[in-house]
Amino acid sequence: MRVGQLSRDTFRTLLTGSGLRVKAGPFNLSIQTRLPHLINQLHQMYAHYSLVNDTEIVEFHVRVISRRSIRRPFARLIQFEVDSRSPFPPVPAEQALATLEWGINLAIAMRINHLLLFHSAAVERNGHVLLLPAWPGSGKTTLCTALIHRDYRLFSDEFGLMDPQSGEFLPLPRLMPLKNQSIGVIRDHFPEAILGPEIPGTLKGTVAHVRPPQESSERADETAKPRWIVFPKWSVGAAVRLEPLPRSEAFLLLASNAFNYEVLGETAFGAVTSLVRNCECRKLVYSDFDSALKALDELTDG
Amino acid sequence: MVDTRADHHRLLLEAIVQPTSLTGYDNRQWELLLRLARRARLSGYLAAKLEKDGLLDDIPMRAANLLRSSLIQARKQQQSVSWELNRVMWALGEHEIPVIVLKGMAYLLQDLPNAPGRMFADLDLLVPKEDLGQIESSLLKKGWRHHALTSYDEHYYREWSHEIPALVHPERNVEVDVHHTLSSPLGKLKINPLPFREAAVKVNDAGVYVLSPEDMVLHCAVNLFQNNELADDLRHLLDFHEMMLFFSSQQPFFQQKLIERANQLGLGNPLFYSLYFSRLLLRSAIPEDLEKQLDRQPGWFAQRVMHHCVPLALLPQHPDHPSRMAGYARVWLYWRSHWLRMPLYRLLPHLAYKFYLSVFPARAETSKQK
Repeated sequence: MRVGQLSRDTFRTLLTGSGLRVKAGPFNLSIQTRLPHLINQLHQMYAHYSLVNDTEIVEFHVRVISRRSIRRPFARLIQFEVDSRSPFPPVPAEQALATLEWGINLAIAMRINHLLLFHSAAVERNGHVLLLPAWPGSGKTTLCTALIHRDYRLFSDEFGLMDPQSGEFLPLPRLMPLKNQSIGVIRDHFPEAILGPEIPGTLKGTVAHVRPPQESSERADETAKPRWIVFPKWSVGAAVRLEPLPRSEAFLLLASNAFNYEVLGETAFGAVTSLVRNCECRKLVYSDFDSALKALDELTDG
Repeated sequence: MVDTRADHHRLLLEAIVQPTSLTGYDNRQWELLLRLARRARLSGYLAAKLEKDGLLDDIPMRAANLLRSSLIQARKQQQSVSWELNRVMWALGEHEIPVIVLKGMAYLLQDLPNAPGRMFADLDLLVPKEDLGQIESSLLKKGWRHHALTSYDEHYYREWSHEIPALVHPERNVEVDVHHTLSSPLGKLKINPLPFREAAVKVNDAGVYVLSPEDMVLHCAVNLFQNNELADDLRHLLDFHEMMLFFSSQQPFFQQKLIERANQLGLGNPLFYSLYFSRLLLRSAIPEDLEKQLDRQPGWFAQRVMHHCVPLALLPQHPDHPSRMAGYARVWLYWRSHWLRMPLYRLLPHLAYKFYLSVFPARAETSKQK
């Protein structure tokens, strides 16, 4: 059963009571909140998320609560909690959705070590995974949003989850936070994209979340092998270029940017080595979507 | 009533005392247990036990994944702290200052049964007070730095604490805590570090020592019932329990020697409580009346109060239904730990200042030193 099939009342009862138990790729979440605006936003944005059976184990218990501050008695503040611990200071109530999403990311990054967590967007086409690792100026979330509205299946815009034993990648389709100018760019190019409210004033500026397409959510259990690693760089006015990248360089960029490479040590070294050996590694410079999408289509056609 | 009867406490304690019983847990019990174990920082310990018994594949996959994740993290922490010790010994090399390693890293060096999967991020060292200046300047010269401290904190450490402000090498971020004694010099219980240093056991030729078995157990007891605030501190009681079992099985008269050592050093009170609660909560196989041989024992009334309060603080709260009683018990034990560490005329201004900072954290910034 999916969140969208719940009546708004049932949905509210779960969030304000024992917790809304939903699946996020390989993990299960329990979410509690009493904030009316967050409940409304989640009802729309989480519509395709599957509900978790009551007898399954939930790994992450998160909560967004309203907070009062002695210093700012009249401000409406909220706080994110995971297992009753608050990793962030309170923020204005309007930022509840963004804080919840970042909080869940943080909890995953802090706790999960049985998988290798690359800081990378990942999408699937023709049965194989295309990794778009984060590096400064990459705009991975924006490019990822563009791809999933052109029939690529969303794995994640933030985490490349790799099982170091099997080499398989695991989907983790969740909301994707567009930042600042990217919001307008996506609205212009992909009017069909479903965006959440624009949330101004966060640490990363204005944020609006993209809802993952229904198909990506429904197929969240289908893992796939990686085949392409493309390091994107958006550069104003640049003609599109998709160039080979030496494997050694790809290795360093991936390893130094992974969330838990050091924690996994030798396991991670082995996993990244076989990853770059088995993938085509490219560097993509682009300024407009259409030509970038065309280049990526050609790469992933074969 | 003692809250060991609360279902969630029984669930956690049973898992620790009898890890093989975990294969019979249903998913709901697992979900709660995983949350409690994380709060108590015991998930790495549980994972190590299950792995040793080859049971990690016999439990639900989601539980196994989380436990494996914790174990991987614990191993990484242990590797980092081991390497930090290596670097500290390198930095001190030419001065040949003997260093006694305490707590987590000492358990690891001695391969004690509580070491596998144990989470710890700091390296704790005990050195002679007269060598403190030399050690601090050697480490600072080789790249370690103090965290930015407020002038108040700096003063607190230098004048009233049993350690100097933590040193951290910016490339590795492992905290090195250098102690010159084992509890606050202002505290009611005066501990002379000299007998501890004299009995220390050499680990290797690089000048690394650990406390003798009796002293290691006593230090654990002192930390629990003298230095710490006890909230969510079950893992330290578990250290005590595991070490008691291990050393008792290694040396026939260990328990007798431990009592004698505690009497000699005047550490009856903390050892009394550790023996008592380790038997009460972890069912340690310790003779019923062992602690009755201690010269110093807490009074009848203190024992009753502690009997009710300590389990409520040591054991984690139910994550969805925190108990108010446990909240009160924790506040009281917080006060107790400070009361034991400082005379009232120091304690009240200290707590008032900490409260002030909790309301106005920005004020701490303004007094920050370079």
